[in-house]
Amino acid sequence: MALIELQDVRKTYRLGSTDVPALRGVSLAIGRGEFTALWGPSGSGKSSLLNLIGLVDRPSAGRVRIDGRDTGGLGDAARARLRNRAIGFVFQGFNLIAVLSALENVMLPLIIRGESHSRAHLLASQRLAEVGLADFARHRPDQLSGGQRQRVAIARALVTDPLLVVADEPTANLDARTGQQVIELMQALNRSHGVTFLFSTHDPRLATYMQRVIRLADGALHDAPDGIPLPQGVAA
Amino acid sequence: MIAFKLALRNLWKNRRRSLATLIAIALGFAAINLFAGYIHNSYNGLRLGSIYGEGLGHLTIARKGFFEQGSLKPEQFLFSETELARLTQVLGAEAGVQVVSPRLSASGLVSNGKLSTIFIAEGEDPALANRIWRRGMGRPKLDPAQPGAGLVSRVLAERLGVKAGGNLVTLSNTLEGQINALDLDVLRVWDTGTAATNDKSLRLPLSYVQKLLDTRGASRVVVLLDEDADADAARAVLAPRLAAAGFEVDIKTWVELSNYYRQVKRLFDLIFAFLFVIVFVVVLMSIINTLSMSVMERVREIGTLRALGMQRWAVVRIFAAEGSLLGLLGSLGGVVLTLLVKLLITLGHVSYTPPSSSSPVPLSISVLPSMLGVTLLVLCLVATLAACWPARRAAHIEIVDALGHV
Repeated sequence: MALIELQDVRKTYRLGSTDVPALRGVSLAIGRGEFTALWGPSGSGKSSLLNLIGLVDRPSAGRVRIDGRDTGGLGDAARARLRNRAIGFVFQGFNLIAVLSALENVMLPLIIRGESHSRAHLLASQRLAEVGLADFARHRPDQLSGGQRQRVAIARALVTDPLLVVADEPTANLDARTGQQVIELMQALNRSHGVTFLFSTHDPRLATYMQRVIRLADGALHDAPDGIPLPQGVAA
Repeated sequence: MIAFKLALRNLWKNRRRSLATLIAIALGFAAINLFAGYIHNSYNGLRLGSIYGEGLGHLTIARKGFFEQGSLKPEQFLFSETELARLTQVLGAEAGVQVVSPRLSASGLVSNGKLSTIFIAEGEDPALANRIWRRGMGRPKLDPAQPGAGLVSRVLAERLGVKAGGNLVTLSNTLEGQINALDLDVLRVWDTGTAATNDKSLRLPLSYVQKLLDTRGASRVVVLLDEDADADAARAVLAPRLAAAGFEVDIKTWVELSNYYRQVKRLFDLIFAFLFVIVFVVVLMSIINTLSMSVMERVREIGTLRALGMQRWAVVRIFAAEGSLLGLLGSLGGVVLTLLVKLLITLGHVSYTPPSSSSPVPLSISVLPSMLGVTLLVLCLVATLAACWPARRAAHIEIVDALGHV
């Protein structure tokens, strides 16, 4: 059974009196442990699709299944619980809480879940060490570099042992070298933990790291882009 | 716990804005408590002034209907000498009763031989009345050894041109309707404190007034209780005792008989309520303003927390914690400010002249722990509730919109 299943998913935004379709009937399946990118230019629907898969938005039509569970009928509180338990997020702008230290940021999903402080501290410390930031646990986000912030965000995404990590343009705010390091880190964590990673990106270079690239154009799945080596199958 | 950690750190992060809100809360807190401390002392002063200065005691007991019709038909409402003795016996047996003092009022003309003017007089037993007396409060003492000597109010004495040691003649109808006149020695001249009574009041020995009205009875009995006794509670105890003893009486407390106290209390209570509402609104608006700005600045943070699985109510809790912390810290600052101002007033020996007084009195402010506690609780509650409005708005921001917010 696929971890993520989308059936004819549509998303339409209303701008004034105009309906703007962002997704026009997307169907796809992503298996457990995949390292997958949603590739496409700006406005292609990558972020919309990622938001639906990350359960931070609802489709206008169609079904989104996570781990076999249809999320359409879930209420707000149940979706929040499912996000906390099963989905980790890595944002383009890192989205760390400015007033919390790196360690406290990583502890946050566990605290939200209701874990004890001592257990949250232990698990968060382990994750920070895994991303190479054990010595920066007490640093606030503004005392960290962009790459370090993104690594804190990765540790935070993984600290709950989620089924899926959703990363929206995770390297967009990083220089090429740091971006490459961050991707390699995520790739290593994908291999070591078996967690499914789903990225959105418009950077063709990152596609080389992916097991699979799903191309989006105008809100629909499309053929593989020219010039991008695709190690395995590209959804169309 | 995470809510308070986030709240505290965000307050510190925006410390200049937080400080402005805290100062507003602290000033409001101090204003409420200083004014409450001032009026508490004023009420206490007025209470003692009414009970001891005016000689109202705690309770006044009269025959049923006296307070409505006693001035028209005084003879119908008198306690006889025997009844007075019995009343004194019954009341004196009650715990907490300090003094039982019969009273008799009279009115008529008072003359210096050339000039006559009206008077109203209160007759009281000098020995008993002197036990309802405090130094520096209201009237001077009567002299039990001089049954023909009384106190003359200041303006009346000036009109009649008499001083202590002078002589006057009082003229009144007896209860039977006969004209009666008696010589009066002026024991002392005293200031009643109010213009309405200062030109016509006499305080006389009870025996003098009884002689003037040709009676052995008295119209009322004033009861002095222990100083801090609750007059209403004492009335509730005494009323059935007196009924059981065969007396049909009305009992009024000193509050019911002191118009001045009631008027001043009404005015101060109104000012206090007004002040409280102003502080309430200031605190409410300050918190709403501070937290609305905080919500606007932290939209992405709210979106992130929601994306990480935080429930809406938990987001509300973060901002409610911020509000309650502002309320708590502001109130604690208010406690310090209240104590500081109280100390400065005490050290500065600040005095003022109240409207009803002719000489300055020290400005006295009590710090009331119960009032401090109530204000702290109310302001914390107001601050928390005020935070809920922007917090609710924060909790209902769509995650996608919040994450995309710049």
